[in-house]
Amino acid sequence: MRAFLAGARMQLRFFRAYPDGLIPFFTAPMFSIIFQMNFRHAGRQDLTAYAAIAPVFIALWWLALFNSGWTITTERWNGTIEMLVAAPSSFAANIFGRITTTTLVGVVSFVETWGVARLIFGTKVTIHHVWPFLATVVVTLAAMAGTAVAMAALFVLARNATTFSNSASFPFYVLGGILVPVSVLPHWIQPLSSAVFLSWSADLLRAALRPTPMHDFAFRLGMVAFLGACGLAVGTWSMRVILVRVRGSGELGTT
Amino acid sequence: MAAVQAVEIEEIRRVFTPRKRDPVTALDGVSLTIPVGEVHGLLGPNGAGKTTLVKILSTVLLPTDGRALVYGHDVVTETKAVRPLIGIVFGGERGLYTRLTARQNLEYWGALYRLSGAEIKERSAMLLERVGLTDRADQRVEEYSRGMKQRLHLARGLMGDARVLFLDEPTTGMDPLAAREFRTLIGELKGEGRTILLTTHDMVEAETVCDRVTLIDRGRILATETPRTLGSLISRFQRIDIDGGADRLIADIELIPGVSSVAVQPDGSTRIEVNEEGTTAVVLKQLVDAGVTSVKTSLPSLEEVYVQMIGERGLTV
Repeated sequence: MRAFLAGARMQLRFFRAYPDGLIPFFTAPMFSIIFQMNFRHAGRQDLTAYAAIAPVFIALWWLALFNSGWTITTERWNGTIEMLVAAPSSFAANIFGRITTTTLVGVVSFVETWGVARLIFGTKVTIHHVWPFLATVVVTLAAMAGTAVAMAALFVLARNATTFSNSASFPFYVLGGILVPVSVLPHWIQPLSSAVFLSWSADLLRAALRPTPMHDFAFRLGMVAFLGACGLAVGTWSMRVILVRVRGSGELGTT
Repeated sequence: MAAVQAVEIEEIRRVFTPRKRDPVTALDGVSLTIPVGEVHGLLGPNGAGKTTLVKILSTVLLPTDGRALVYGHDVVTETKAVRPLIGIVFGGERGLYTRLTARQNLEYWGALYRLSGAEIKERSAMLLERVGLTDRADQRVEEYSRGMKQRLHLARGLMGDARVLFLDEPTTGMDPLAAREFRTLIGELKGEGRTILLTTHDMVEAETVCDRVTLIDRGRILATETPRTLGSLISRFQRIDIDGGADRLIADIELIPGVSSVAVQPDGSTRIEVNEEGTTAVVLKQLVDAGVTSVKTSLPSLEEVYVQMIGERGLTV
């Protein structure tokens, strides 16, 4: 727990020291404008929920994924990664703390995205199912941080994790049904979406913005939690395995 | 029951296997024991295997063969027991969060060494004071001089109250005064019962602070002795300095078997170097017979031992 909190506190200090890590707070409103304009131009007011949720998810996922890659890369460049691994605290718990802070800070993008929709387009985003919405946000943030730990473990293997993390975000946007509904994806891809927690949480959040009743809420939220927990478990396990591997190959501190 | 040693290394081998290149043996059967409280110097040229050995002892690199223990705990299988006991200090610019302040750096490492909030505050303030950085504690590290960064490195390595410190070329980039203060600090740490493994290229540093020195080259240990014993190992390479020296006398001395060189120094004195045991006595007798009264003999410095044992390899690694 101490390693988690140390990582969380460190990440807050890093945001002040390296504000470029907060770029999504600049891009989220831009994405909001793009989505709103596209859907309006196409006359698809029914997709307002997509326009309200997609920029938030893009910001949150980018923050989690990019920062997990950035964290590993900068620790390598700093020459601190070996000392972090040699410290008594768990390296995975430390990274989890840093990524969790990042995703929590990312909640600001909700305010930005919906604020822009209201101010520029006069679109008021209404949460029709408040408690399910809040519960989904909380579980989604936890799942995001857990999954990002699994990605961070992979980044330990990569020489330049930042490049990898930049490009790795787009498949998740597609599979998670963030950019376009999963239903319009090719049939053979759709089962893959079910294995991505983003698709379940994005569906739930969009459903919470609609006045119609939410079906199977508990099961769907459970899937988000389950897939996120799987991500964290796989991440923690693979971090341990990968650290042993790079200790063996001598590539832990290699830049 | 034998007393526990701070560090025990038994036949450690480490082979790196780079992609598409031949394997490189960084350590080839290294064995070494460092008792508790010793300051041990590891001397060797670039690529000798010093940093590889430190990394293995720090639990961040696995040996290919052999075993290494820190306070009786295996660095491969008992990392949880080893890590709270060790502190690592690397030289150079890397190893610090330069956009954070010195205090923030220390607080972070204190948390990772599982100190409580109060302990972190107390210990970071004490260490900042100890390394002379209290006045600049809340300044970003990127504004520090190299010497200040080195001092912060040491403070960071001590945040966990390590019993064994691995200092990898810690005085790199320090000015002579700062380096001297650093050596004093190492003496204080030894006084607290800490064990220190110091890798360095600086012979004066090794001679000044180390209880014993290991010479390492191409992954093999050449010798482990006290700096003084190591010097006497090649005492046959003794040198004799005399004031002045007539040309005829110099010519005669050059003919003595075992005299390797006779050279006039810039200050006008003459240095005679011998390379066989017993030659010094013959040379001294001849000098006294010739009426030379200002004679000084000396053992080689650690630097000369280093050069003699490792050879004049120059920049070759």
